Amino acid sequence: MKRANIIASIVIVLFTVFYGYLTSQLPSRNLPNTLGSAFMPWLLATLLFGLSVCLLITNAFRGTRENSNANISLKEGFSVVFLTVFVYFYVKAIQLFGFIAITPFFLAALMWISGARKWKEIVILSIASTLGIYLFFQKVFKVILPHGTLF
Amino acid sequence: MGASVVAALLDVLQFQNILASFIGVLFGLFIGSTPGLTISLGMVLLLPITFKLEAVTSICLLLGLYASGMTGGSLSAILLNIPGTPSASATAIDGHAMAQKGRAGEALGVAVSSSFFGGIFGLTCLVLASPVIARVALRFGAPELFSIVLLGLTLICSFGQQSVIKGLISGVIGLIIMTVGLDPMMGSPRFTFGQVELQAGISFLPAMIGLFAVPQILLGIAGKTKVFPEYKEKVSGVLPKIGNLFKMLKTMLLGSLIGTGVGAIPGAGGPIAVFLSYDYARRISKKSGNYGQGEPEGIAAPESANNAVAGGALIPMLTLGIPGDPITAILLGALMIHGLIPGPLLFQQSQQFVYSVFWAYLIANLMNLIVTFSTIKLWVRVLKVPQRVLLPIIVILCIVGTYALRNTFFDTGVMFCFGLLGYFMMKFGFPVIPLLLAIILGPNLEEHLRMSLIISQGDYLIFFTHPIALTFIIISVFSFFGPLVVPLWKNRKGAARSEN
Repeated sequence: MKRANIIASIVIVLFTVFYGYLTSQLPSRNLPNTLGSAFMPWLLATLLFGLSVCLLITNAFRGTRENSNANISLKEGFSVVFLTVFVYFYVKAIQLFGFIAITPFFLAALMWISGARKWKEIVILSIASTLGIYLFFQKVFKVILPHGTLF
Repeated sequence: MGASVVAALLDVLQFQNILASFIGVLFGLFIGSTPGLTISLGMVLLLPITFKLEAVTSICLLLGLYASGMTGGSLSAILLNIPGTPSASATAIDGHAMAQKGRAGEALGVAVSSSFFGGIFGLTCLVLASPVIARVALRFGAPELFSIVLLGLTLICSFGQQSVIKGLISGVIGLIIMTVGLDPMMGSPRFTFGQVELQAGISFLPAMIGLFAVPQILLGIAGKTKVFPEYKEKVSGVLPKIGNLFKMLKTMLLGSLIGTGVGAIPGAGGPIAVFLSYDYARRISKKSGNYGQGEPEGIAAPESANNAVAGGALIPMLTLGIPGDPITAILLGALMIHGLIPGPLLFQQSQQFVYSVFWAYLIANLMNLIVTFSTIKLWVRVLKVPQRVLLPIIVILCIVGTYALRNTFFDTGVMFCFGLLGYFMMKFGFPVIPLLLAIILGPNLEEHLRMSLIISQGDYLIFFTHPIALTFIIISVFSFFGPLVVPLWKNRKGAARSEN
């Protein structure tokens, strides 16, 4: 965990510098007798900077008492990126084709990725779940789900 | 007065009112347990129906939803680690830990029982002490609200169990995230990068769903980890033993007291109450070491607070006509549709109706207890669905749920960003609860601080000259430094003893 903490604290320090830069660009106009727009961001940036430096110093010189490990295997990292991109494309596809048309395919693919191999189970559950969610949200709760070009 | 009380009871006990309460409870359980659907949304959906109903039937329907919506949020928190409502996030800590140990039925049983206890406690306060509580609650101005939000934020230290620094970093990151949006005083955009959607700030519901649900999805699908407990054997221990409940009485009383008190303060909100009660219950408990690892008391405290908040929130609404949150604002609207204006005059002009509200709330809590207990085994069946099927459905529910909040996929994007943040935080050992606390409380902290300074014309002494604000600030100081100082003091004492 020591190495992970050092990496995390460096990332947070870099983020704080970026946040500080953005804060310096905030407008200075303000109401009389109160704090400005930038007061809270400056206070938070200072706090975060101090805390991340503390984390860096304590881990670099004293080590840590934490017993867990920050292990992300290459395979898991790749899967996380893949899943994120996959969900992104699904959301884009909903806007094009509509919720009803695209969701069964997305669900079926996710079930397959999750380890389901019986095609009957995949087909029935993906269609039934899509319809169930559609009826629950659209008909019962009047949430208008996105309609695409097809549906 | 006695005749009015009896007449109100007989009115509420009519078939259509009991049925309305039952429908409200069922609807609330579904709303509460579905991520993204809020109790306010459920109320808004039911509101048009109430136009055609009698006033008492309407209030039975809406109070049924209110009482069970709070409990519903805890069902998904315990079973799936996805809180249905923000107030259920504290329940997820020990509730899901118990479910993972195969004690989901018992966890749900404790949650429902303590919800009932909190609901009844809130109702008792509403009936017996509403004028007094309302008078005190009305004294809460900007400095007092700032100090109570500050007190809520000091809990951050308590949730950084492995590393206090990491807990604090997590909390500060949460506060930084909440500076995104329009400046609460000047209305100028901050850190919005020209995005119109960011001007309203980051909504905490997508953030909450992202922080809790997405890391589980990523671990389960990408990491092939078992994230949900398998439930193959019969569900048992649903009905808690009286003796066990009695042992938790102190915890439930504490939670209910905090819940009613915080609920009665307009604008304070339920999440503060549940985290405060969780933290204080842990501090006074003999089993504090078990908290976070599946301790029933860790469910009883936030759950009793959660439902007591509802009773507390009704106090300023009924006695003064001031809604403390969006839910009571909708309830207020529902009463006004029927020509009933909440406030001091309501108690004089429509005394019987006021008693009907009390009875309706009691019936709602009883109905919630009965319906939830009798369906617990059905809820636990969710865990019998294989992970390969359950996880993809949860992904869709999260996406649709966040979309439903404002009918935009922007919130879905926010949810996923928070999910990735939560995933990396979990991997690097940063606790997510402080981040969530800061996200919930952050906007109020800055707003009340700056508002107080406008009132005092820039004088910081305003926080020390208002007795209520000063009291909360003193408690905040103890609350913040307590978790840092007490272990050091204990270590020193232990070292001194071993030397002797």
